[in-house]
Amino acid sequence: MRFFDYIRLALKNLTRQKARTTLTIIAITVGSLSLILMISILISVRQSLMDTFKAMGAFNLVTVVRDPNSIDNTNLIGSGNNSPTDDNTKKIDDTTLAAVKKMPGVSDAVAIPAGPWFKTMRLDGNDKKTWSSLLASDPSADVFDLILVAGRKLNSTDMDKVVVGSDFLTKYGDPSNPSGLLGKKVLFSSDKGAGYPDWGDLPPKPPFNADKSWWDSQNQGSLEISAEIVGVANNSSMDSQQNYITLGWAHKLMTQLTWQEDDNGMKECQQQQQQQQQAVKMSGNYSNNNSSACDSFRTMTLVKTDNFLTNGYGSIIAKVYDTSKIQSVADQITKLGYGAVTAQNMIDNINNAMLMVGIVLSVIGGISLFVAAIGIINTMVMATFERIREIGVMRACGATRAIIRRLFTFEAALLGFWGGVFGLVISFILVRVVKILVTKYGASLGNLPISNIGNFPWWLVVSVIVFTTLIGMLSGLGPAIRAARLNPVDALRYE
Amino acid sequence: MIELKGATKMYELGGEKIYALDHVDLKVDKGDFIAIVGPSGSGKSTLANIIGGLDVPDEGEVLVDDVNIAKVNDATISNYRNKKIGFIFQSFNLQPTYTALENVMIPLIFSGISLSQRKKRAFECLKAVGLEDRVSHMPNQLSGGQRQRVCIARALANNPEVIIADEPTGNLDSKKGIEIVELLKELNQKSGITLVVITHDPGVARQAKRVVEIKDGRIR
Ligand SMILES: Nc1ncnc2c1ncn2[C@@H]1O[C@H](COP(=O)(O)OP(=O)(O)O)[C@@H](O)[C@H]1O
Ligand SMILES: [Mg+2]
Repeated sequence: MRFFDYIRLALKNLTRQKARTTLTIIAITVGSLSLILMISILISVRQSLMDTFKAMGAFNLVTVVRDPNSIDNTNLIGSGNNSPTDDNTKKIDDTTLAAVKKMPGVSDAVAIPAGPWFKTMRLDGNDKKTWSSLLASDPSADVFDLILVAGRKLNSTDMDKVVVGSDFLTKYGDPSNPSGLLGKKVLFSSDKGAGYPDWGDLPPKPPFNADKSWWDSQNQGSLEISAEIVGVANNSSMDSQQNYITLGWAHKLMTQLTWQEDDNGMKECQQQQQQQQQAVKMSGNYSNNNSSACDSFRTMTLVKTDNFLTNGYGSIIAKVYDTSKIQSVADQITKLGYGAVTAQNMIDNINNAMLMVGIVLSVIGGISLFVAAIGIINTMVMATFERIREIGVMRACGATRAIIRRLFTFEAALLGFWGGVFGLVISFILVRVVKILVTKYGASLGNLPISNIGNFPWWLVVSVIVFTTLIGMLSGLGPAIRAARLNPVDALRYE
Repeated sequence: MIELKGATKMYELGGEKIYALDHVDLKVDKGDFIAIVGPSGSGKSTLANIIGGLDVPDEGEVLVDDVNIAKVNDATISNYRNKKIGFIFQSFNLQPTYTALENVMIPLIFSGISLSQRKKRAFECLKAVGLEDRVSHMPNQLSGGQRQRVCIARALANNPEVIIADEPTGNLDSKKGIEIVELLKELNQKSGITLVVITHDPGVARQAKRVVEIKDGRIR
């Protein structure tokens, strides 16, 4: 019997019981629909994460962090954590940077300070405030590949200059005209009582007898520091809220200026007085002791506290020549006693998370397909019972057992096949509709990259159809084998 | 051509053995026209089915061109039914959802013939039984006699050597019955097709070259 005749006969038999066939196919359609949507959401989320990493060049980056046990995924490119209380972690300083730069496989490395810590920022002349997010680095290092849409990159010598990111542009500028922001000022505000950095105004000198109320009043004020926009970066695929300054300026901003009392002069003066008094005492000549006589020797000096010297950098980001070198560089870093974060860590974690989600979703999809499979079995059992006499006639006309078995398996497989096809078609339409609605009403689906969903890869289309067809075949196999086993004489006599 | 040697078929009902066929020896020669007669339940259908390869005996041999088809595999015996045998049933056994032409095409599907060839051959067979103007009719749009003609056309489809008819006139009135027997007789005489016809009707049996009487599974 010809292959095409199996299909022809199966189609003919299925159209005989239209309602029953339709219902069975609907059940499979629903099952495959849920499976398709779940898988395509899963792969598109994963794909967009991978795309983001790729855009960041993350597959060529290793981040050195203080904590050797850190797998802080959110900080692949970031300032890390250098809170001084972490005393069991190792300080990252210029020696570390030099060591990392010298490691085989590393093309360049850049140190990222943990600060500067501003609270908010805004465009000069605009009252809208946003959280400040600054990434300071040495512009001469070739690690990130910032794409500028306007202006210029930072120079190592730049002070109070900033390159703003995509979020800043959409908030304060006109995305179609990024150059409009160039030359304007960004005002960064520090937290209340954060003190004065080694930039701009000096802190007011405390009076001699400064009491608590004076210091309290000092802590009320917050400082505004301005920077000129020299460039606008397109960092939408990486870290769009990030803005960039030079390491040199960050160093100054992170250096604290405070007034401290210098009482050396006063102590000297008092010592001299005591010696004089002793000399007088021995001579038996008493005079009045004046303790405030030395006050004029009391002075206030400006003290710089360099955060870099005490705490080091937040992190170092190293760029490797080749993705395959990532692990060996990471190993060298851990040998130094630091933590090494690579994109592989993140990919592993994402893959693990996706696997869990995938298992849960597959179970749900599996249950619905299981129900659909029971529907197919039921349909096929009914079909074989209805057609016992027909089976007898076919056997009398020369059909082998194998032909009868294949005929019914084909029918069941066809049910599965159409279920898979309709599942794909409907999910395709569904995704299109959702996309149109989302773009029309500007609705948001959280972080779901809807633009990727529904770009079903060919292997998903093929495997869904193969899978549902296989389910149909397996479900139909039982009834088909029973039909094939029928004794033809009994089948012909069946009423 | 077909030879039964000691063919025995039994059924066990409630521990009791019933012999539907009890050591039957029978020779069916090429071009023969055999009428099998006997009371109801005597084993006529069982005998016919064994000759046609639809059933196999529990004991004995069924030699077709010296091959015992009681011992061959399903594919071989199915091919025997497909190519060499044409069955005609009392209750026609037409597929109610198929047209007359599609019904006649059924055996041709299993011989792997292309669709266009099948249509051509099925039309020839319908023409041979005088139904060329009923090709697209459904069985329920045909009279009893016409239905049995479609059944004969289906049996003829693969140019069989033997046609086995199990009470072909049983569901027809006598006039239509005579027509059907005339048609079968014509096939036997003109095309040399061997006929094995089971019948209750003495009028039908009289047409046969040879009458085999069977009772309690035994030939008398
Ligand atoms: N499947 C079966 N199970 C039990 N007994 C059967 C079966 N088929 C046939 N028989 C018995 O075999 C005998 C012969 O049957 P059959 O060949 O159909 O007779 P006929 O066609 O002459 O009326 C009958 O007694 C019948 O009851
Ligand atoms: Mg009978």
